[in-house]
This record gives sequence, structure tokens and C-alpha cells, in this order.
Amino acid sequence: MGSTVANKSTANGSAKPKARASLPAKMVVDSEEEAAPRTQKRKKPSALVSSSEEDVAPRIQKRKKPSALISSSEDDELKPPSPPKKKLAIASGSSSKPKARASLPAKTRKDDDDDFEVVSSDEDTPVISSDEDEPKAKGKPKAPSQKTVKKKAKEDGEDGSKEKGKSKTEEPKKTNWAAMKAAKARGPVAPGSKSVPDGEDNCLMGLSFVFTGELSSFSRDEAVDIAKRFGGRVVGQPSSKTNYVVLGEEAGPSKLKAIEKHGLKTLNEDQFLNLIATRKGNGKGLDEKTKKKMEKEQKAIRDAAKEMEKNEKEARTSSSKITDPSSQLWTTRYAPKSLKEICGNKNVVEKLELWLKDWPQSYKNSFKKPGKNGMNMYRAVLISGSPGIGKTTSAHLCAKLAGYTPIELNASDTRSKKLVENGMNINNRSLDSFITGSKSASDSESSLITDRTCLIMDEVDGMSAGDRGGVGALNALIKKTKIPIICIANDRQAQKLKPLMSTTYSLTFQKPQASMIRSRILSIVYREKMKIPANVIDQLIAGAQSDIRQVLNILSTVKLQSDSLSFDEGKELSKMNEKYTIMSPFDLTSKILGPYLFSHTARESLGDKMELYFQDHSFVPLFIQENYLKSEPARTRNEQGPEKELKRLMLMDQAASSISDGDLVDGMIHGPEQHWSLMPLHAVCSTIRPASFVYGTGVHFGGPNSMSFPQWLGQNSKQNKLNRQLGDVQVRMRLKVSGDKNEIRQSYIPALHPHIVRPLVEEGSGAVDAIIEHMDEYYLSKDDWDTIVELGVGEQKDELILKKVSAATKTAFTRKYNSSEHPIPFHKATDLGKAPKKLVAEQVPDLEEAFDFDEIVDEASDDEKNTQDNEDISHDKLIQTSKKKGAMTKGKTKK
Amino acid sequence: MSLWVDQYRPRSLEELHYHHELSNRLRSLASSGDFPHMLFYGPSGAGKKTRITCTLKKLFGPGVEKLKIDQRIFLSPSKRKLEVNIVQSNFHIEITPSEAGNYDRVVIQELLKEIAQTQQVDLNAKQRFKVVIINEADSLSRDAQAALRRTMEKYMSNMRIILCANSTSRLIAPIKSRCLLMRVAAPNAEDMQTVMQHVSKRVGFDLPPDVALKIIEDSGGNLRKAILCLEALKMQSPDLSGALTIAKPDWETYCHKVADLIISEQSPARVMEVRQKFYELLSHCIPPATILKTVADRVVERVDDAIKADVMHWAAIYEVRMRIGNKKIYHLEAWVVKVMSLYKHFFYGMDLTEFD
Repeated sequence: MGSTVANKSTANGSAKPKARASLPAKMVVDSEEEAAPRTQKRKKPSALVSSSEEDVAPRIQKRKKPSALISSSEDDELKPPSPPKKKLAIASGSSSKPKARASLPAKTRKDDDDDFEVVSSDEDTPVISSDEDEPKAKGKPKAPSQKTVKKKAKEDGEDGSKEKGKSKTEEPKKTNWAAMKAAKARGPVAPGSKSVPDGEDNCLMGLSFVFTGELSSFSRDEAVDIAKRFGGRVVGQPSSKTNYVVLGEEAGPSKLKAIEKHGLKTLNEDQFLNLIATRKGNGKGLDEKTKKKMEKEQKAIRDAAKEMEKNEKEARTSSSKITDPSSQLWTTRYAPKSLKEICGNKNVVEKLELWLKDWPQSYKNSFKKPGKNGMNMYRAVLISGSPGIGKTTSAHLCAKLAGYTPIELNASDTRSKKLVENGMNINNRSLDSFITGSKSASDSESSLITDRTCLIMDEVDGMSAGDRGGVGALNALIKKTKIPIICIANDRQAQKLKPLMSTTYSLTFQKPQASMIRSRILSIVYREKMKIPANVIDQLIAGAQSDIRQVLNILSTVKLQSDSLSFDEGKELSKMNEKYTIMSPFDLTSKILGPYLFSHTARESLGDKMELYFQDHSFVPLFIQENYLKSEPARTRNEQGPEKELKRLMLMDQAASSISDGDLVDGMIHGPEQHWSLMPLHAVCSTIRPASFVYGTGVHFGGPNSMSFPQWLGQNSKQNKLNRQLGDVQVRMRLKVSGDKNEIRQSYIPALHPHIVRPLVEEGSGAVDAIIEHMDEYYLSKDDWDTIVELGVGEQKDELILKKVSAATKTAFTRKYNSSEHPIPFHKATDLGKAPKKLVAEQVPDLEEAFDFDEIVDEASDDEKNTQDNEDISHDKLIQTSKKKGAMTKGKTKK
Repeated sequence: MSLWVDQYRPRSLEELHYHHELSNRLRSLASSGDFPHMLFYGPSGAGKKTRITCTLKKLFGPGVEKLKIDQRIFLSPSKRKLEVNIVQSNFHIEITPSEAGNYDRVVIQELLKEIAQTQQVDLNAKQRFKVVIINEADSLSRDAQAALRRTMEKYMSNMRIILCANSTSRLIAPIKSRCLLMRVAAPNAEDMQTVMQHVSKRVGFDLPPDVALKIIEDSGGNLRKAILCLEALKMQSPDLSGALTIAKPDWETYCHKVADLIISEQSPARVMEVRQKFYELLSHCIPPATILKTVADRVVERVDDAIKADVMHWAAIYEVRMRIGNKKIYHLEAWVVKVMSLYKHFFYGMDLTEFD
């Protein structure tokens, strides 16, 4: 592109000033009047804009200079659109970029009018969508509506205002280019610095895109939105079917590899925008194959709609009792009437139908033969899945198709233990009242229970406090039922449903893919004579997270007002109906530390970011602390070599000290005063602020720097455990030692090590006697010995030490210790309470001995006592019990 | 046999080797019959506990050395069971309320009242009151200290309290004003020399003065550490001759390793390595303040003079934060990153000036 740009630039450069020459005079007129709205509109910091209130002369000067400079960049974008195109854009009166560019000297007259239109409605910021500084998302939709206003204004506009308009719009145009150029040189451009060209409808239809890396002026979501708005398909991973890959900065290496592998076409941001501006809309630019495919799809939709109509008519003629479809909710009206019509989960539905068909046979076999799917062992199934994906509908449909009369009980019926036991006496008729007599009504009260009845227990996880014992009773019912039972729940894992796990076969409904629902929805839309493009439908489906019911409800609401729905309206709608999703701490962490949340194109407010923390406020800070060192901070991107390292350390330092602040706040929240109102501050200190320093790529699942679960939890409980054990050791040693726990750990354990641990390593089982003597001196038990070994760090780490001690030595030590008598300083209170009587009775003397421990004990007497003990042991009854104990501890040590 | 530290511990005020003035005062207090509440404070290994025991012996006679350990269970307000170990004789009782963590107030309230409300039963006892020794008084929570205030005055007739702490800074002023403050300073080199010579004489060998000096230097005023060290050394080379290297305790060498890691490389990966080591130390019951102090000392030894002050400055700041905060590792790590950043900046700063 570079060389051609140079050529053109000269031509344009000369043309430009001419157009601008007329400015100064007009500027005087409008500068005062228009000052206010203009400043409002111009968000981009540009020197030129501010000059509007200054003198005229300096302004001209200023403006001329940049124009020369800019011409090249302007060309950059000018070149690709062919001249006739430009005309077309103008004719259509669109106020977006291509048109703006076309407004060059040759078409000045026409252009002036256009520009004037823009100004005449100047209170509205969106009008300036031709200004590049408008956030395109907003500017886009409103532009067309303004068009008409503009036209009118143009007709009755007078000369003065015309001139005003011209001068006004041209000015920002110029400044924008200058700013853009500067921004490009600077690095990443400010968000929203480019507007979306007003391409033709569906100009990207049939194309699939992959976005990777960070674009300079659009956030990822926005770029995806743009592609979708123009009918493009956006997929996550590049494959051979991908048409274009839009590359941004720091594209993912795996995606780059895929691009290379499949030889895909890549676009940068500008090329992508160009594609939109230049490509013909509504499938004109497509090859035959895709066209045919699309036609086929269209036909299928129409056919489906026709069929729907036919069915409806049939239904109406067949039974006069059915209510008028137009008064029904869409969800009932367009509920699937055959298995074919169910969107997604075909497999599961087929299974369900088969099971129902086989049920009588399985019953005869008393549920012994597993059948094809292994389902025939069960008297009931449990269908689970998220709301609105057709669980209840499928259940009803299957039951009907398999020749059953479904009886439905849902959360609106009380289903307590008593009622489940009595009310569903499945061998007889349930309740006598017939209300309508219609076969389709599926209330338990209105139909006979025969062997061709099927019980649908809807919303079993909704059996709440009012339905005490309901699940248990249901489970009991399932065990002896003579009719098939279908239970439906949202969450299979719910604690409440535990009893059902073993008695029911579990069928899980997945959320259907958007593509599965799309055609169905499109047929409905066609049937309702609405005009809603497929990409809007996709948007709605994605927004509702494949909740078909919600999509239908949204559409029926829309239908009340208008017959069409634009992309942005659709987006707004789905945002309004957005479901609150709960992310796992891992997802939250990768989002928070990821490159997009804090990038310059991000649109999240501080509140949005804090919302992430509040999704799981106990775990997120721990995850952040664990993983904040693993990212490749985006802020160091522009540095090289040592500067990069320095910068990175600095960022880490800032993040770490913020985390430290966060802990102080946490101390206040969880301290004695419980300042829970500080939670938002904690969110900022512990999560948002650190992440704002170190955000960047690198925190992922998998890979060398993969995200890990916070160690703190494990380490903390380990610390508590060892601390408690150390406490035990200290108490035992207390009779001899004056130090506290810390002194024991820091001075005594290292000092005792050579006496009671090292000999075992160096001398083996020969040293056991001496060791036991030492331990007895300090009232240490074998457990305490284990603790002391466990408390070692570095070279005295327990693993290292225990590895060096041979298994034989260990067993010798344990056996020897258990077979001898040891002084016991005291009994643990809990032990005394729990210990079996016999043991206590026998050990009491020991206790006494310890109590009566003489104050002037010198070694001699101590030794005597020990030897005495040892001698006693040989003919003591205790031996047997202690041997048992020995066996036990042996088992332990082996572990 | 016991370790020398415990074996040759002085058992009466007369046997004490240093702080004679303090011993005299304690002796006269004990014999005066007007015994106050007391607060013993000083660094560990200076002899606080030894002095307390000696004073008790003076007060009550040899009976106080008949110790027994008892374990009591308290119910926290949230019905959690708290196990507290009590060491007691007929004349005194010794508790470590910090064992109960945040619920130390419950222990103080229940236990002290119970003791205070019962009079001495033993008619032959030398004193009418019992003594309660509260260990680790500086880790008492504020609530617990407040609970102590009134009790100390109200039950004066039945009970005396002896607090034992490392520093008075974390005790509230009302407590301090109710006690007679007894500072047990760390022994100086000569005192330590005397004690060690005494020990070696009791054991029956000659301690070369230069070896003693070396040990003293290493122990930093902690007599317990010095004597334990002497014994270890004696075990290592029975004749105490030749080049003796004093074996550092495991955790200290480990801390030094951490410091070396910090100095040798400054990178995120290294921080994570250091974090791992910190976790290891913390989980093995080395107090975070000790870790920070040991590592910082070592780092300061090895960095350039220009940033020594900064390293210590930040260590001090993060030590304070550690005490206020909950999760010690956060602050330790923040300090490490700070030091790394400082060091690296200094390193490159020097590079640049050299090129200039």
C-alpha cells in the first residue's frame, strides 16, 4: 500500500487547502454560537479544537500545517474505496467515514449540503459519527434516523447556516486525522478513535472471522459485535473454513500457527473496517455455493413456517375447544408438536422416548433387563438442564408420542410427603373431579390414572420447605411405581436430589447451540411476519444463553411495538434480559489478570470490575495473590531489555504493596469490629489495583505459568496443624523447660535433633535406647518425636530425614518405644473423657507418678525410675495392651 | 539426661549468676510479705522464667516445684471447645492464654475468677495468696487485657499476678500501671562467660575462653541459645579444639538461603520461589517476624551500603503491617518484591553512572 499512498498524497495535499481557504470567514460567524455544542462533541484532545475560540489568523495557520502532514494517512483509507463507491455513499446520505472522505474539493457543493445537514441537528452527539472520535457503537444506529432530519433541514436552510455547517464539520475532520496520525505514532490509539464505516447491510454475510490479539481502537467485544452486525460469523478458533483472521497486537501464538497452517487471510484493524465499507451487501459478494446454501436455508425456514401454519389450522379444525392461538403465549403456541421440532438434545429425547416405549415391557421384566441404553433398569428418569431449553416440553411430547397420558405435578402443587403418598395412589384413579374433560390438559385432578399414564414431576428441585419429606416420598414412590415417572430439575447436583440419584436414570439436557435454535426462531419470526435478520436472532440467543423460552418472550414483546428489530436494539434487549452468570474463581482470575479488562479499549467501569470481586469475595483475592506474578504485564510492552525488567519489578512491587494494603483492610473486616462496609475498599486494594498494574497475557490454564489454586489455604491449615502439635510438645516439655512454643521450635528442636533424631540416621537401631531415654527425660512421646521431625526445614526436612532412616530402624524404634513404660506428664482432657475404663484404670498410677514427680529430681533418681520401669514391664500385664498399640502405630508409620 | 540448659538451671535466687541487684530486690520483695503484681519483661533467653521460679520458691518454699499439668476445656461463645493447658503447683498456677487464640479473654475471665474466688486451703502455706503466672502476656488480645484490669485489683487478697512478656509495648497502660515492672535485660558477654564456665565446670570439662566468646557472639544475648550451642559443640568435637563451626539451627540456614535467593536474582519466578520457601518456614511454626528479621539481616549484610537503610526501612514497615494484618505471607512477599525492585534499580543505576 505504501507506495501508492505516496503518489496520491500529493494530489490530495494540493486539493485540500483549497477547500479550507474558505474557512476563516465562515468561522467567524459560527465560532461564538457554536462554541458550546462543539466543545461538547469533541472528546478527543486536539489542539485544533481548542483553537476555535481563538483568533482567526492563528487558526488558519495551524490548520494548514497539519493538512499537509495528514494527507498521507487520509489516503491510506481513501484509496481502497473506488470512486463510484464514494458517490454511492453520498447518495445514500450516510454520515460515516467513507462519505466524509468523499467530501473532497471535487464534490464540494454536494458535500457542503451534507455537512450542513449534520450541523443542523447538532445537539445530538451521534450526528458527528463522521467525526472519528465518536464511540461507534452509539453513533452507528442513530445516524440513519438523523438522515431524514438532515434532509429537511437542508431544504429550508439559509446560506449562512449552510456555511456554518460546512466550516464546522470540516474542521473536526481535519483534527481527527491529525490526532489519528499522532496516535499511531504514539502507539495504541485511544478507544473509539475510529468509527465503523457504514457498510451495506449484511455485507459480511457468509464470512467467518476469527479475532486474535488486541485491536488498537476497539475492544474485542466491540469488534466481534461489528462483525456480527454486518452479518459475519465469529468463531473462536481459526480453522480451514475461516475466511479472515483479524490480527491485533500480541496475537495468540497458537492462533498464529493455525493461520499459517491453513493459509488464512489476515486483516488488520483498518483492513477489516475497509472490508465492511467496500463489500457489497446482502450476499451480493458471495460465491454461488454459499448463495445457494443460504437460499436453501431461507426456503427451509419458509417451509417450516408454512407447516406451522398448517398444523395450527388443523388443530383448530380438529378440536373446537382449543383456544385461539393468537391469544396464547408464543411459548405455547410454538411449542414443538413433534420430535423433529425440538431444538437440540435429539439424542437425549430419543433415549427418553425409547425408554417410555419400552416401559411396559420393562415392567413385565421387573426392571431386570438393561435394554439398549441401560435405561430399562429404572422406573424413573431425572431430566436436568438449565431453564428454557425444552425439558418439560420434551417430556410431555415424548409421553404423548409413546402413547401415555402425562400427568404433571409441578412446584405449584404441594408435594409434601403425605400428599405424595396419598394423592398419587397410582393403582386407582387419583382424584375424581373432571373439569374440562379435555385430553390435553394434564392436571392430576382431571384425568384417570391408567396403565397408560405417565407422571411428570416437574421442578423437583423446587420441593422446598412446604413439601417436607416430598423428595423422600417421591423416591419411595419411584421404587414401587407401576407407571413411568419423569422427574425434571435444573440442578442435578442439588443436595435435595441425592436420594433420587440411585433410583432414577439421569438424562442431562445441554444448552442447544445457537445454530440449532436459529432456524426454528427464524421460522417463527417469518410466521409472525416480522423482519428480523439472522444475526440479531443470534445475538438474542447468545444473550439469553440459549434459553428458547426467553428468546420467544422477548420477540413477542417486540412484536407488540414493531415488526423489525435492528442489531443494536437486539443487543440492548438481550442486555436487559441478561442473566446473571456466576463464574468460577479460575475464570474470574483469568479475566481480571487477563489482557483485556484493563486495556485501553476496555469499557468496564470500576464498578464492573469490582463486581467480579464480589462474585466470590473470599476466593478472588486469594487467587489474585497466588497468580499475580504469572502474567506478562501489558504495561511493559513498550520497554526492552533491562528497562523492561525494571519496569516489571516496579509494577510487581506496586501490586504487592497493594495486596498488602488489602490484607490490612481484610484485617479490619474480619477483625473484632467487623467493618463489612469496607468490602468495596478491599475489592479495590486486594484485586482491582494489583491487577491494574500487572494485567497482561500469561495467566492461563495450562502452560508453564498456569494458574494455580491458592496455596495459602493449604499452607495455612498445615501451619495450624503443626502449631497445635508444637503446642502439645511444648506442654509435655514444660515440666522441664521454661521456654514458650517459639523457643521450643527455634532453640530446643534444633538442639534436640542431634540427640533424638540424628542417631537414628547415623547409628540405626542401635541408638534407639539412648533416644528413648532422652525422650523420656522430656516426656516426649512417639507422636511428639514425629512432630519434631515434621517441624524440620531445609536439611532437616522430615522427608529427607525419614528417607535416611531405614524401615527396619523405624519399626525397631516404634516397637521398642511401645513396649516400654514412659513417664506421662498428664492426660489430655479429651483422652480422659473418651478412654475406655480399663485403660484408664491401669494408667492412673502413671499419672500419679507424674504428679508426685519430686522437685529435687536429679538424674540418678530419674534413671533409677526408668530402669525400674523397664524391669517392671517384663512382668506387667500392660505388655499385651501396649503390643496392640504397637501394631497400630506401626501401621501408622508405614503410611 | 536432660540438656544442660535444663539440668543446670539455677533453682534459687542465690544461685543466679547475674543481675544481682534484681535478685536482691526480688529476695526482699518475697520476704517482705507485701508482694505486688509483677511484670517481667526482657528478650528471650535472658532468664525471666528462671527468676520467676526462683522468686516463687523463695515465697512458698520447695513446694512450688511440685508441678502438675492439667488440661481444661473452655467453651467459646460460639460453643467451640478450647483446650488450655495449665501448669500448677499447690501455690501457683501458670497459664498461656495465647493458646486459645482469639478467645483468650474467655480463659482469663473464667480461670482467673475461679482461682481468685477460692482462698488458699493449705493452712501451712507461707502466703495467703496464690500466684498466677501469665505467659506470653504480650500476645494477649486487647479484650483479654481489659478483662485482666479489674480482676487484678478486686482479688488482690487472694491472688497475685506475674506477667511474663518479651516487650511491654503491646500491653495496655492500665495493666502496666498495676504491676511492678521488672526488666530482665539480656546478660552481657561477661555474665554469659561466667554462666558458661559454671556450666562447663558442673559438667566437668574446661571451656577455652575463645570458644566461649565465639558462642557468645553467635548467640546474641540469648543465654539459652548459648548453652544449647555449647552442648551441641561439645557433642560435635569433645575436646573443643581446632576450627569450630557453630551449627546454625535449621530454620536460620533456611532463612539465609532465602536471602541469598533474593540477592542472586530478581524476577517474578524468583519471587514465587521465595514465596514457596516462606510458606515452608511459616507452616513449620517459625514466627513471621523472626523470618523477616533473619532474612533482612542477611540481605543487609550482602547489599551495598547505599541501599542498606532502605532495606531495613521497608522491613520495619512491613513488620508493622504484618502485625496488623492477617495473612503474613502477603507482607513478607511485598517486602521481598520491594527489596528486589530496590536492588535491581540500584544495580542498573550503578551501571549507568559507570558508563557516564
